[in-house]
Amino acid sequence: MDTSSSTLSSPSTPPWNSDRPFLTGRFHQEVKTASRFAETKSHSVDSFSLGSDNPIGCYNAAVQELILIDDLLSALVGIEGRYISIKRVRGMEDDFTFQMDASMDLAIQELAKRIFPLCESFMLINRFVESRSQFKNGLVNHAFAAALRALLLDYHAMVAQLEHQFRLGRLSLQGLWFYCQPMMGSMQALSSVIQKASANNYAGSAVLNLLQSQAKAMAGDNAVRSLLEKMAQCASNAYLSILERWVYEGVIDDPYGEFFIAENKTLQKESLTQDYDAKYWRQRYSLKDGIPSFLANTAGTILTTGKYLNVMRECGHSVQVPVSENSKLMSFGTNHHYLECIKSAYDFASGELLNLIKEKYDLMGKLRSIKHYLLLDQGDFLVHFMDIAKDELTKKLDEISVEKLQSLLDLALRTTAAAADPCHEDLTCCVETCSLLQRLGTLKDDENSRNTHDNDLGEPVNVTGLETLSLSYKVRWPLSIVISKKALTKYQLIFRFLFHCKHVDRQLCGAWQVHQGVRSLKMRGTAIPRSSLLCRSMLKFINSLLHYLTFEVLEPNWHVMHNRLQSAKSIDEVIQHHDFFLDKCLRECLLLLPELLKKVEKLKSLCVQYAAATQWLITSSIDIPSIEESFDNSKVTENSKQLKSRSPSRALKLSSSNTSVTEAILNFEREFNTELQSLGPILSSSSQAEPHLTHLAQWILGVGNEQ
Amino acid sequence: MPREIITLQVGQCGNQIGMEFWKQLCLEHGINKDGILEDFATQGGDRKDVFFYQADDQHYIPRALLIDLEPRVINGIQNSEYRNLYNHENIFVSDHGGGAGNNWASGYHQGKGVEEDIMDMIDREADGSDSLEGFVLCHSIAGGTGSGMGSYLLETLNDRYSKKLVQTYSVFPNQMETSDVVVQPYNSLLTLKRLTLNADCVVVLDNTALNRIAVERLHLSNPTFAQTNSLVSTVMSASTTTLRYPGYMNNDLVGLLASLIPTPRCHFLMTGYTPLTVERQANVIRKTTVLDVMRRLLQTKNIMVSSYARNKEASQAKYISILNIIQGEVDPTQVHESLQRIRERKLVNFIEWGPASIQVALSRKSPYVQTAHRIIELFGGRKQAFEVNFNMNNDISSI
Repeated sequence: MDTSSSTLSSPSTPPWNSDRPFLTGRFHQEVKTASRFAETKSHSVDSFSLGSDNPIGCYNAAVQELILIDDLLSALVGIEGRYISIKRVRGMEDDFTFQMDASMDLAIQELAKRIFPLCESFMLINRFVESRSQFKNGLVNHAFAAALRALLLDYHAMVAQLEHQFRLGRLSLQGLWFYCQPMMGSMQALSSVIQKASANNYAGSAVLNLLQSQAKAMAGDNAVRSLLEKMAQCASNAYLSILERWVYEGVIDDPYGEFFIAENKTLQKESLTQDYDAKYWRQRYSLKDGIPSFLANTAGTILTTGKYLNVMRECGHSVQVPVSENSKLMSFGTNHHYLECIKSAYDFASGELLNLIKEKYDLMGKLRSIKHYLLLDQGDFLVHFMDIAKDELTKKLDEISVEKLQSLLDLALRTTAAAADPCHEDLTCCVETCSLLQRLGTLKDDENSRNTHDNDLGEPVNVTGLETLSLSYKVRWPLSIVISKKALTKYQLIFRFLFHCKHVDRQLCGAWQVHQGVRSLKMRGTAIPRSSLLCRSMLKFINSLLHYLTFEVLEPNWHVMHNRLQSAKSIDEVIQHHDFFLDKCLRECLLLLPELLKKVEKLKSLCVQYAAATQWLITSSIDIPSIEESFDNSKVTENSKQLKSRSPSRALKLSSSNTSVTEAILNFEREFNTELQSLGPILSSSSQAEPHLTHLAQWILGVGNEQ
Repeated sequence: MPREIITLQVGQCGNQIGMEFWKQLCLEHGINKDGILEDFATQGGDRKDVFFYQADDQHYIPRALLIDLEPRVINGIQNSEYRNLYNHENIFVSDHGGGAGNNWASGYHQGKGVEEDIMDMIDREADGSDSLEGFVLCHSIAGGTGSGMGSYLLETLNDRYSKKLVQTYSVFPNQMETSDVVVQPYNSLLTLKRLTLNADCVVVLDNTALNRIAVERLHLSNPTFAQTNSLVSTVMSASTTTLRYPGYMNNDLVGLLASLIPTPRCHFLMTGYTPLTVERQANVIRKTTVLDVMRRLLQTKNIMVSSYARNKEASQAKYISILNIIQGEVDPTQVHESLQRIRERKLVNFIEWGPASIQVALSRKSPYVQTAHRIIELFGGRKQAFEVNFNMNNDISSI
């Protein structure tokens, strides 16, 4: 039963194998002991039957020597002789001693005892070979056993030669001792290795490690060392071929679970688009315990090499590392050839995969398109979308129809510059269930569950679509490796923040337009100038914020990432740069600073309130001032006609409403300024830790502070 | 198509700069003289539909109305190589063809007479757009048609499309030389009144400054109309890049203007542009770091408005707001550094009575026009300039 038959996937052994698994002497004896008395009689008719009953002491020394040599030759191949017996300790299979008839000549006895260790070693090795050839012990053990078997063949040949010499009458006990000498050391060393291996029931890489460490430990004994190295070599052959398949083809061909890479087949690649932690990428293939020491340093490389090859195969690309003559993983000798092979295979695989993802699947194009939509790099579609989806978005959360929003989004995409982008159909919209602040709270919980769930985030009761709209982007395998669910979530968080800022901006622009509408009327003495200045302050705030977010955070960071991605060497590097970019953006976009973010949200909500109130404020303050006849006589508005004929009592009423309007505007102004000023200390205190905040402070407060 | 802008070109000057503007836009969008998209221009990521619409035969048509009371300039356009570009239904020439005779009142009165025809055209254009953003009016304020009829149109537009923005590119007369048109100051004043009251935003293009720039910066001894007009068209196209090449911000006209105009009547904008070329003549390559360009834009010699007040008290002049539009590939980190430097060295003064700042918009530039430089254009409202304008206004009331 040698290693060649081990390729059978379901090993089935014939029944006799279990009755008498090994057709060797030991088991023969075991059977024999059961019927010893019956057998001894028939054995006594052997040609050598000198009468086993007689103690050896009754012969003279020369005869004793001859008998002993005969017995020793048997003992060398593990068979009991007439005067040499094997004593076993019951239950301990590997524990046995050779014993001789005590009546033997002492000198001969001593000489024979020296040969016994060789016999014991043989027995051990033989037993090891036999037991390790079983299927369950794995390829490495099979290979090791096969190598040992070859060695034992030599040993058998030697014993046969000695016996031949003995038959010719040319072998003395001293001669036997002399001839055994060269074998002694190696067999001893091997048997000690084997004892360790079988005591711990080693398999796979542990055997390789053991062999190697023993070879190193025996460094002083050249013969033994090279023997052990040769054994290690042979034993690792099978292992290396597993490795080779993995490194060159990305296939785990490991029927006995010896290889140090495990595959988790339950993780599907489709899960990447849903799984927040990107388990597929990180846990589909993983390192197990028991990495052979000679591969320990490169285990990570090996893992990724095969992983990359697998990704390519999943993409429908049958990629195989071009195998040349010298790229065979033949040995792991000191020349480190195998390391070079692994290195080149890794370079090939990572280069190929990177190429595939960058070129064929157009990673940069996808990222750019995500940037267009989720980071609003090409914000014109959003303007249009907000125009047409205004009604839907202002609805309450549970009344929003996502389908309708989706169709409006599609419309907006089709009619703006986004239409030129082939990826625009991958954009979908969704409505989240909670506000941005809440979402960020839960995000933190996800990442490091140190925060307890704090409910003081101040959930606004009436969350509308404006606060919860989010865009999503369909990312397909294999790009989902880079743009995982987690990455996409981060993009979405940034988008939601930007979107709401844009919304505030739009509302303020609307308010601005209301102001524009009254420019032809005299407004001295009214609250309008005051109001338009306030509108301007708010616009400046939101514009500065948007400017900071886009031109100070997103654009430069994108720039840096883009350059890094161009020079990235492997897909892992790409993922790392991309994640770094997102994390940096999240941090610099204030999204990880809840205190600051809350202030900003407060300011934004003030802006929205003001913008909503503008229409009323302006129209009610227009009614008040006396509008003199404008120069343009042709254009007499209804308003002025009315006012020309107003009565004094009405003027009184109006002036009271005038004060209330002014009051309202002043209120807004006061509140806004207080909030804005209170932002200053927060910004400057947190800018110690986050230097980019000084930029924001400059934008929002900068010029104002100088004056 | 969303956020469309309709251009009205009124009078001789208006039509001339308008034509240059469309030439420039066609060049930037890769549209040829017949309105057909060039083969190389199919993948631009640009927004042609803001200023153009497509006819049934994929032919791009400018959303433009060509209006004049005398046929000379419009005939010139109709005989030029761009004659197939425009929609012929959008060309209005007065029947008698006598012009307004450099008389504001005549233009205004004739405008009233043909109101119906022109409003029909405007309504048709407006109906053809999904969500009209506003109107752009090109005219001069000195002549008869541009000033008089333009004023009338402004009032009518304001009346009928009160929710839409009206932006004008108004060419102011040359103050340095005496004009042969005696009533020029009156024309100007009367038009200014309408600009103040009925336009949302007026981009002041001062002929004096345009001439000065042509002479001093471009070293042309005798600048022709075509050359100064191309300066105007450059400014017009540059100030609309953020609308046509969408970026992070300023993707609609409202957003662009709202950040520049603090109070409703303070809507006179000055522009500057660098590096300047005329008719795409070869120019010396200059150093173009972002800081460099920003600084150059703040220099008075690059600003396309000149006023006596500014010359005298240039150091005390204060900006209300500034928007820099930077085209082309810019390292975004440079922008912040440059702003920092400008602030540190106090290169700009801002008004005290309100929030003010320099804003920067980065914009892609047209992939079809090859320029070695980054192009930056500045939009600034400046206090002194307003004072001049308001002074004129007060004069009007006393007339």
